[in-house]
Amino acid sequence: MTIRLPRPIQLLPWLFAAFFLLMASIASSQSLSVQPLNLVGTISPADWEAYRSRFVEDNGRVVDTANGNISHSEGQGYGLLLALAAADRRSFEQIWNFTFTELLIRDDGLAVWKWDPASKPRVTDRNNASDGDLLIAYALARAGTAWQEPRYTTAAQKLAKAIGKSTFSLSGRSMFLLPGAQGFGAGDRPDGPVINLSYWVFETFPVLAGLAPEYEWNRVWRDGVMLLQQSTSGRVRLPADWISLQNGLQPRPADGFPPEFGYNSLRIPLYLLRAGMTDMEWLRALKQRWSAENEGVAVVNVVTGQVRERLTDQGYAILPAALACALDGTPVPEALRTFEPSLYYPSTLYLLAKSLLGEKYPQCV
Amino acid sequence: MRLVGSAITIAVAILGFAAIAQQTGSGSNQPPAESPPPPANGSQPQVDESALRYFASQGDTRRVNAEIARLRALYPNWTPPSDLSQLSGGAAAAAPDPLIERLWNLYREDRIAEVRAAIAERQTSDPNWKAPEELVAALETVEARRRLTNASDTGQWRTVLQVATEAPSLLTCVNVDVLWRVAEAFARTDQPNRTRDVYTYLLQNCASLGERLATLQKALTLLPEQQVATLLQFERKTGESPDDFTAIRDELARRRVERASLDSKATASAEDLAVVERLIQNTNEAGPVLILGWYNYHHGNPARGLELFKTALDRDGGTKAAEGYAMSLRALERLSDAEAFAYEWRERAPESMKIYLDVATALLSQDPAPRLEPQVLARIVPVVTAQRFSDAAQALGWYSYNTEQIRTARDWFRTALTWKADDEASAYGLALTTQRLNDRAGFNAVVAQWRSRSQRIADLADGANPATGRQPVTTPPSPVAQAPLAQPIESAPPPVQPRPVSREVTVERIETEQTFSRTEGNVRRRQTQARSALGRNCTMTRNPAGLSGDSALTRGWCLMEINRPMEAVAAFDQAIATGSSRAREEAAYGKSLAYLRKNLTSEAAIAATEAPQTRERRVELGASILTQRALAAYRDGRYVETLMALSERARIVPEQNDLLLIRGWSYVRLGRYNDAEKVFRAVQQTGYSEEAAAGLNAILEITGRMRY
Repeated sequence: MTIRLPRPIQLLPWLFAAFFLLMASIASSQSLSVQPLNLVGTISPADWEAYRSRFVEDNGRVVDTANGNISHSEGQGYGLLLALAAADRRSFEQIWNFTFTELLIRDDGLAVWKWDPASKPRVTDRNNASDGDLLIAYALARAGTAWQEPRYTTAAQKLAKAIGKSTFSLSGRSMFLLPGAQGFGAGDRPDGPVINLSYWVFETFPVLAGLAPEYEWNRVWRDGVMLLQQSTSGRVRLPADWISLQNGLQPRPADGFPPEFGYNSLRIPLYLLRAGMTDMEWLRALKQRWSAENEGVAVVNVVTGQVRERLTDQGYAILPAALACALDGTPVPEALRTFEPSLYYPSTLYLLAKSLLGEKYPQCV
Repeated sequence: MRLVGSAITIAVAILGFAAIAQQTGSGSNQPPAESPPPPANGSQPQVDESALRYFASQGDTRRVNAEIARLRALYPNWTPPSDLSQLSGGAAAAAPDPLIERLWNLYREDRIAEVRAAIAERQTSDPNWKAPEELVAALETVEARRRLTNASDTGQWRTVLQVATEAPSLLTCVNVDVLWRVAEAFARTDQPNRTRDVYTYLLQNCASLGERLATLQKALTLLPEQQVATLLQFERKTGESPDDFTAIRDELARRRVERASLDSKATASAEDLAVVERLIQNTNEAGPVLILGWYNYHHGNPARGLELFKTALDRDGGTKAAEGYAMSLRALERLSDAEAFAYEWRERAPESMKIYLDVATALLSQDPAPRLEPQVLARIVPVVTAQRFSDAAQALGWYSYNTEQIRTARDWFRTALTWKADDEASAYGLALTTQRLNDRAGFNAVVAQWRSRSQRIADLADGANPATGRQPVTTPPSPVAQAPLAQPIESAPPPVQPRPVSREVTVERIETEQTFSRTEGNVRRRQTQARSALGRNCTMTRNPAGLSGDSALTRGWCLMEINRPMEAVAAFDQAIATGSSRAREEAAYGKSLAYLRKNLTSEAAIAATEAPQTRERRVELGASILTQRALAAYRDGRYVETLMALSERARIVPEQNDLLLIRGWSYVRLGRYNDAEKVFRAVQQTGYSEEAAAGLNAILEITGRMRY
């Protein structure tokens, strides 16, 4: 990390030491007792219908309309979660059917991540994506409880165990979530291990820990918070989407990816808010950066601070609004209160944010 | 079924098979070997009758009939169950549930997710409602089949086996595709016996002829041949629709011949060979032709191999056919043909290049050294150089050595050693040539490096084996030659190694327009003598093949006189072939002169060795050859070679002024101004020379400019 302080040089070692102490204390003060969401019933039938009719096919496939109409485990996971939040058991079952028969076919019990209707076979990358697995398992676990459906709970437990077994990885003293079971570890690439902080869907950890307690969910969760703090302590204060942990305590942008805070990472504040982790100091800095007076939501080079692309879709604009609401109680602007679905990804973020606001911050909406 | 401790799930899957086999009929109870089940058994596949039974239980005659029609279309041999009417009796009073009817319709349209969704929806509004068991079972089967198929398409073999274990109802003749995938999953997880069990089950129970044959074709790709052969016993030879597994038997025979075709110690049976012959006749494929070609090649019949490879080439057999063709030519000792053919194919594949280099090496290594066309040598050398192929470099060394081109030979041996440091034979060649060239430093360097590892090099140093006479071209490598050099070759390049192009000296076709009075004068004197002694008319072109030695010799000289040197070569060849030893010597000499006339110095050098020459003639020919070589090299700007040729020539005859000037200018071009100055001054001392003065001025100008 780069700390540039206009201070005498002899102060630096002391500052470093203090900094790590501070971070360690922050991290350990964060316990895994995230505030659980009720979820069910937090998305209106109208909003859900607008989403479902656009992005969910009759066979239960959630379609990424901005990426050649492919599907992926992440999309299936979001679809399940949103169906649960909309209390639509019918759609949940539909989406689950596709997920189960088309993606949950890996020998290790994880889901293949990429499915392309234009290819044969349809699975074009058999690797998994750990965030997709977490979302699917989490949605199944919550649905199993909500609807008293043991099929879901059983499947959630199997998947949770597979996640713990195949994607938790130890490097040095930290234990983290590999983005995929293959290709990201220390031995898999010269700058490995490589992580993606937006794959920590924090709200899922306590739930899945209950289903697969033999794995160290608490530790992975805590080290994820620590890594996030380290990655946001540079001058630009934004984490790159893909981060190399080759140098242990000094995360740096991974090779072969643009050193950008991009579409992946902008989910992180949403995940933190949904998990109730509003006391992360970084959220305030981000709220400041994202405010209308400043640069707003954007893809930013984490080394130079340069903006590459400003993101104005409703699904991105609701993120700073949610931050301002959660941190300062600022009401969500009227223009953002009505769902206007566009593409799969921002529409998904919008409903996830709106579901959270409706449940936890009804005064803002 | 034997349980494998480490793979319980797999064993369970096999037990699943056993269960299904029990269900499908008595055939599976019989031992697998002699008695295949009657066809009727296998033609009764497990048809999904769940929808039919449901409609019957609802008393819905119209839908029952529609479903029967649908199933009949899918399974022609299927007959409706006889107990349908009993089912309808009890439930006829109850009104059919429209939802369930809709669910079955969705199910039949393969809209499984929607069936599931509708069930879930109904259960939300009516928690006590339950979907019909048959429907749930049918859904689970379809889902299992999808997962199994997807997992198999994605190479997730453990998932395939796990799904098969959990859904044994899938494993029937209705789902032969599923059975094949499960069989493959066993094979991919190193359980070939389980794979064989699945195929056995299929052959014992399933009736479709196409699927039965396809099963064996799959077995061919996944199982050892012995197990495939075991499966052949399930071929049904009688009945309405007997199997025909001839294609499988042919393939097994073809494979046996293919294996034997590459192993000269293995022989194929006459029956198997006949099968391959038949495959050749019945198809236009190159494959079986190649197999039989290699079989003949490796079993002492390269002539037949050559024919077959020719056929394979005609059938677009590609580089494999070309390799076989070249190697057959080589085995037939048609090395020139082999070289010419392999040359054309050398770029097509790495293996083709290897074969070309081997063939070229063999061509060069013949004993006695062959007379090679200059264009042959000219095309061999660049390939050898580009490929850094040390065996051929060594062969070029011996070839040069045996054609009295000692200096070139030395360069080739040195090159061979830089490409392959532990090549004792090349080191021996280098020792021989440096010794003969009186290159003490070079000789001592080789001896120092090799005397402890090579007895014959040590002998050479001790004077036990004077380096005279013709050396055997096939020099066996010394058994101790494997020891690596102390230094890596790159860090220790040969001290006076000429630039790589120098190697082309031996083999380059030198096309010169100039004539040189001195050598030409010799030739003309000879010719004059010849004419005065043997003068006859030779202007009529005629084939010298029938001539006696002396007549051919006379004709050769006559042709030289009227300046038709290439015809003279043919005449001299005839004289060499048939004449007395005196005529042979004379003819070899004449042939060398003829080549010199055409400026084919390499050929001249070769011709000079075709018969022993008097010392006087050897000197004369050698000097002429070297003169031409030096001048040709100079013209081409290859000054190091110019100097090499001149130095070699100076060893046998004094260097006259015109060549000294060439030497001087070569030094100038190479920046060796001190040496150049010495040479030009020496020329001037023999009397004023404008050329020498020009050279000295040039040096002054260059060095003067360089100093400032």
